[in-house]
Amino acid sequence: MVKEVERAGIPVVHICTVTPISMTVGANRIVPAIAIPHPLGNPKLSMAEEKEIRTKIVETSLQALATPVDGQTIFEVKY
Amino acid sequence: MKLTIGNIRITNIVLGEQSKVESGTLYVNPKELEAVVLEDSNIVSVKFDVAKPGESTRITPVKDVIEPRTKAQGEGGMFPGVIAKVDTVGSGVTHVLKGAAVVTVGKIVGFQEGIIDMTGLGAEYTPFSKTINLVMDFVPRDGLAAHDYEKSLRLAGLKAASWLGGLGKNVKPDEEIVYDFSSVTEGIKKYPDLPRVGYVQMLQSQGLLHDTYVYGVDMKQSLTTMICPTEVFDGAIISGNCVSACDKNTTYHHQNNPVVTDLFARHGKDLNFAGMIITNENVYLADKERSSDWTAKLVAMMGFDGVIISQEGFGNPDTDLIMNCKKVEALGVDTVIITDEYAGRDGTSQSLADVDVSANAVVTGGNANQVITLPKLDKVIGTQEYVDVIAGGFENNVQADGSIVVEIQAIIGATNEMGFNKMSAR
Repeated sequence: MVKEVERAGIPVVHICTVTPISMTVGANRIVPAIAIPHPLGNPKLSMAEEKEIRTKIVETSLQALATPVDGQTIFEVKY
Repeated sequence: MKLTIGNIRITNIVLGEQSKVESGTLYVNPKELEAVVLEDSNIVSVKFDVAKPGESTRITPVKDVIEPRTKAQGEGGMFPGVIAKVDTVGSGVTHVLKGAAVVTVGKIVGFQEGIIDMTGLGAEYTPFSKTINLVMDFVPRDGLAAHDYEKSLRLAGLKAASWLGGLGKNVKPDEEIVYDFSSVTEGIKKYPDLPRVGYVQMLQSQGLLHDTYVYGVDMKQSLTTMICPTEVFDGAIISGNCVSACDKNTTYHHQNNPVVTDLFARHGKDLNFAGMIITNENVYLADKERSSDWTAKLVAMMGFDGVIISQEGFGNPDTDLIMNCKKVEALGVDTVIITDEYAGRDGTSQSLADVDVSANAVVTGGNANQVITLPKLDKVIGTQEYVDVIAGGFENNVQADGSIVVEIQAIIGATNEMGFNKMSAR
């Protein structure tokens, strides 16, 4: 899906836990997620803390979308 | 460590009065076995049944398969840290009721338990169509949470296998096999010219009922570590899995790990079986990186010349597999990986979720998406209620004539990634 949307000329950020697979399949902008069963949350945290990490992931993703890249790039989230 | 396996051949299981092993028959008093498994208040009742090879019988939904064994001489007992005390196992003498198996049945997750057919095409895909199975179908207490149900069922199966195995403690085995594992220095002195081959076993540890236990330790909470290969024969590693039936390692697979037995068979002949590493398959990327780094580090420290890596499950564990392979190959150590494939029903899709050029020697257990038709069978132990939602099943897969169309993913052990099966494309 990432590749098809990009082929249509729209940049895509792939948020995923297993970034090596994202690299293998050819995503250009990759943002690491939390874990496979809970990519955008963490049941060990409070709701407020979860919202905070989610916000950071989304902000990092938006930043990544606006950043020109030469090749496949992983944008680390700063927690 | 030296372990003698004494195989007592079992050719029949009879439910009757006195529990004993005599002339190749395992006699079981269901009342006695019931008392063993109903110690757990989470289990309300249990139904026993015997399924034999060739019978028109389907067992589903299957959770685990366990071989009855007992420690006849030496330290420790079966399933250390879980059923027996945590004492180190893997030495002395272990008696095995060869040909018999305990099969636990229960709807825990529903879509992640499997099918064993005792006859027909499905039987060809599972090794447990060739064992005489004592099937235990449990009724849990009302409102029992899935994770507690899984635990109760897991422990009940192990208790039963251990208790049944005990019936063979004083029986003379029909065959004895000695597994003698040398220390690093002994091995090098004895076989200076043979390549030192190690085994890396990856254990399913994704949590949420996808777990494996080693001496009772939940493997997702462990760093990559080493184990003496003889320990696996005494139930040091047990399955706590409710993952896809075809490539979960049941406890029976662990007890009879064919990579271990085959490496022992060639030990001192054309290779030196120099050690076994166990690692996990966790759901955090950092865990995957750390565990595979640790695998490579242990391989380097042990000075292996070559390594066999077996996977469990599929999907994101493909990344753990490739990381292990890539990092070991980067040391200049050759690897062979054992995996299976999800290549689509026509077999043309990419087989693994992750790939790397260093994975250049691959053994496959087969394509889990392959579709087969299971005939209608006369008897069902358990319930067929889940055969459409089981992983490998699909909506309306039960045909008008009662046959069931499934991917082989739904069959217990069909694409086992230890290479347990005999079926081949040649």
